[in-house]
Amino acid sequence: MNPVNVNREPVLAPDLAARVSRVGLVLAVLGLGAGFALGAAEGDNLRHFFWAYLVGFAFFFTFTLGGLFFVLVQHVTGAKWSVSVRRMGEFAMNTVPALGIMAIPLLYPLLTNAGREEFGGLLWPWVQPHGEHADLVAMKEPFLNVPFFIGRMVFYLLVWWLMARFFMKRSLQQDTDRDPAYAPTIAMRKLSAPGIIVFALTLSFASFDWLMSTAPEWFSTIFGVYIFAGCVLTIHAWLVISSVFLQKQGYMKKEVNAEHYHDLGKFMTAFTVFWAYIAFSQFMLIWYANLPEETGFFHSRTTEAWKTMSYLLIVTNFFVPFFGFLSRHVKRKPKMLAMWAVYVLIVHWLDLYWLVMPSMSPESNPFGLIEVATTIGAFGLFLWAFARQGVRHSVLAYGDPKLGDCLAHENY
Amino acid sequence: MANTAELTHAELDNIIDPPALVQGKDDLASITDTVCNVAENKPPRAWYIAFLISLGVLGMLGASIVYLVITGVGVWGNNQPVAWGWPIVNFVFWVGIGHAGTLISAVLYLFRQGWRTGINRFAEAMTIFAVICAGMFPAIHVGRIWVIYWVFPIPNQMALWPNFRSPLLWDVFAVSTYFSVSLLFWYMGMVPDLASLRDRAKKKMSRLLYGIFALGWTGANRQWHRYERVYLLLAALATPLVLSVHSVVSFDFATSQLPGWHTTILPPYFVAGAIFSGFAMVVTLAVPARALFGLRNLITMRHLELMNKVILATGLMVGYAYAMEFFISWYSGNKYEGFAFVNRAFGSYAWAYWIMVSCNVLVPQIFWFKRFRRSIPVMFVISIFVNIGMWFERFVIVVTSLNRDFLPSSWHYFSPTYVDFATLIGSFGLFLTLFLLFCRFLPQVAIAEVKLQTPHAHAHHGDDH
Repeated sequence: MNPVNVNREPVLAPDLAARVSRVGLVLAVLGLGAGFALGAAEGDNLRHFFWAYLVGFAFFFTFTLGGLFFVLVQHVTGAKWSVSVRRMGEFAMNTVPALGIMAIPLLYPLLTNAGREEFGGLLWPWVQPHGEHADLVAMKEPFLNVPFFIGRMVFYLLVWWLMARFFMKRSLQQDTDRDPAYAPTIAMRKLSAPGIIVFALTLSFASFDWLMSTAPEWFSTIFGVYIFAGCVLTIHAWLVISSVFLQKQGYMKKEVNAEHYHDLGKFMTAFTVFWAYIAFSQFMLIWYANLPEETGFFHSRTTEAWKTMSYLLIVTNFFVPFFGFLSRHVKRKPKMLAMWAVYVLIVHWLDLYWLVMPSMSPESNPFGLIEVATTIGAFGLFLWAFARQGVRHSVLAYGDPKLGDCLAHENY
Repeated sequence: MANTAELTHAELDNIIDPPALVQGKDDLASITDTVCNVAENKPPRAWYIAFLISLGVLGMLGASIVYLVITGVGVWGNNQPVAWGWPIVNFVFWVGIGHAGTLISAVLYLFRQGWRTGINRFAEAMTIFAVICAGMFPAIHVGRIWVIYWVFPIPNQMALWPNFRSPLLWDVFAVSTYFSVSLLFWYMGMVPDLASLRDRAKKKMSRLLYGIFALGWTGANRQWHRYERVYLLLAALATPLVLSVHSVVSFDFATSQLPGWHTTILPPYFVAGAIFSGFAMVVTLAVPARALFGLRNLITMRHLELMNKVILATGLMVGYAYAMEFFISWYSGNKYEGFAFVNRAFGSYAWAYWIMVSCNVLVPQIFWFKRFRRSIPVMFVISIFVNIGMWFERFVIVVTSLNRDFLPSSWHYFSPTYVDFATLIGSFGLFLTLFLLFCRFLPQVAIAEVKLQTPHAHAHHGDDH
């Protein structure tokens, strides 16, 4: 296919980016501050706050890792359709330092003595094994111990930061250097394949560490894939939202068109189904075999306080978006698609909440202002780190050799 | 393109301007000729030799099945506790092989991968024949093949219904759905090409036969329009099937409580493994076929290289699943689970386990190097290694978990008999016989679709960049 004539100019929106990042910062400070204050007021040594904080942290982390995966997969496949939205994905992946900042408070529940006797730990209940599963959890000590856990946390963040920096730097270099031999693009392409291996392993183990080990007696080999499905959904939704927002503000009017929205919508449809497939595999196999060491996780989620939410999740996270996305019309109307993208983010958050919170409180659903506040705070922190990059950099990867193909792209 | 001195041409090609998917003479008629001539002319001598050998091996399959049916399943090495034995290993192996076709034709179509056109017809045919081989094994494994119709929920005088809660029954539905949709997809895609063969046919008989199956295709604009709509819809419907079939096959194992079988990653892991083995088989067959039938310009080095990349990627996914299973078997704290995995790697079947790991995880790593991805001998050998490795994977899963029962007094080593060997090798005879007949009489390459990949098919053809 011959590329259309491309006007290789940067798309700069520094004022807008500065404004958005300020909003993000305000949300972060207010949200996290309010969450903390509400948590402190509960008088439970901040236990509820930290569990809610972990949900917010996981929400942030799915944006970052989703962005990283999106960028890697575009390079490894040599995708053309996505060039004009890829910079948004790069901004999302390059929020690792902010994610690292958000990880620091998580050291507190690991190191404090509060909650150890009663719950086994303020957040992760394996810090000091207790209760009926104490022996089982104690057996996992070679993996689940505080120093190794912190070491792994630092390692994941460091690896992601290095990867994000590498791809961000090369992508910007391709814009500014105008290298006719496309050396930066070729370098990115070369590193993308091994990058995906590193991504898959770090994402899986980070999911085991941060989320699966909130129920340390429970295990599931598919858990990493489950979180991966959420990451991919999140980033496609986020690309839709940020593109629509930019266009509404008068940027990227030509660079992102119905064809690109259509493709982003298709990926959201596909990964809605993929998520359901993974969730079903995980649930059905555990339910069917009915082994006591595995069913605890679903038992607490399908009885008493969590029953309604568990069944509702099937509807909100699969049936509603699946039928919502089926129509071609929906995928090609940016505003409508953006509304669906917001919906996807909300139900994805519900999914994370449902994964984590029943382990803290099996008998009652503690949902309240504290979760809302910490999530807004976590999202604000992401938004701040995301938008801040737009102050200095073009929001379009205008030096990419495949930009012309991207603009000429048509669905069939 | 200006200064490209510091880059090899090949590197730049991959990014900006990959080599054309159709090589050789630059006109549309020659594509039709290349593909149709195979069906119209006498096949090369090698075809006859291969066909005779395959037919002989197929005869061996027939003989071993007859022997089995009149004697009983005792002729196999199956024992207690390894009641599944080779028949189920072979079943899962062949279903896996049957995955590449629909992936290439449906999933890659949705991903707009133009290179699928050179190999999709071929791979789809292979899929259908592999599923036929697969379907045979559970049927003969039941022992009393004359009552095999009991697996279907047909009302009968004994009020005997299959157990709908059993994944073995879900398998019957999953595999037969996959087979019917793949067959439909394959046949529908072939209609325009069958019409080409009909129109070119010189003999009355072939005109009549191709004519019947071409369904009166005239190539009218309206027909093409509908054809493309149906193709897109069938692709969208077939895509979930690519995932569902092997997921349901994995449920046969994973719903049980057996250590080594019951693990939640099994469905996507089986799907990745199936695509892995399916692509390996496509390479195994495509390499000789393109040479034998003169299809080198349609199934180019780029097609082969891309398939090798898919093999590398799916091999890594399989490696990921092996690693996760191993890690969680320890992390779970379940000593039976832990034993099952240590026993796999270091127990009496350790040799099979290490064959599996070497063939599936280690050997494909050579495809990281472009030089080897593009080397015909290397890819041919590796594709065979992968086929071997994937057969062993199913062997390891079935046999290592079963032969160590919960009670050590029930432990029993499994050894195959010569009938097991004859049946397995014989199934290759069935597969290759069908495949060679396909190569001889049907269009091996989707003529119309390949033409869309030529420069002529693009609106800006001839423009100066």
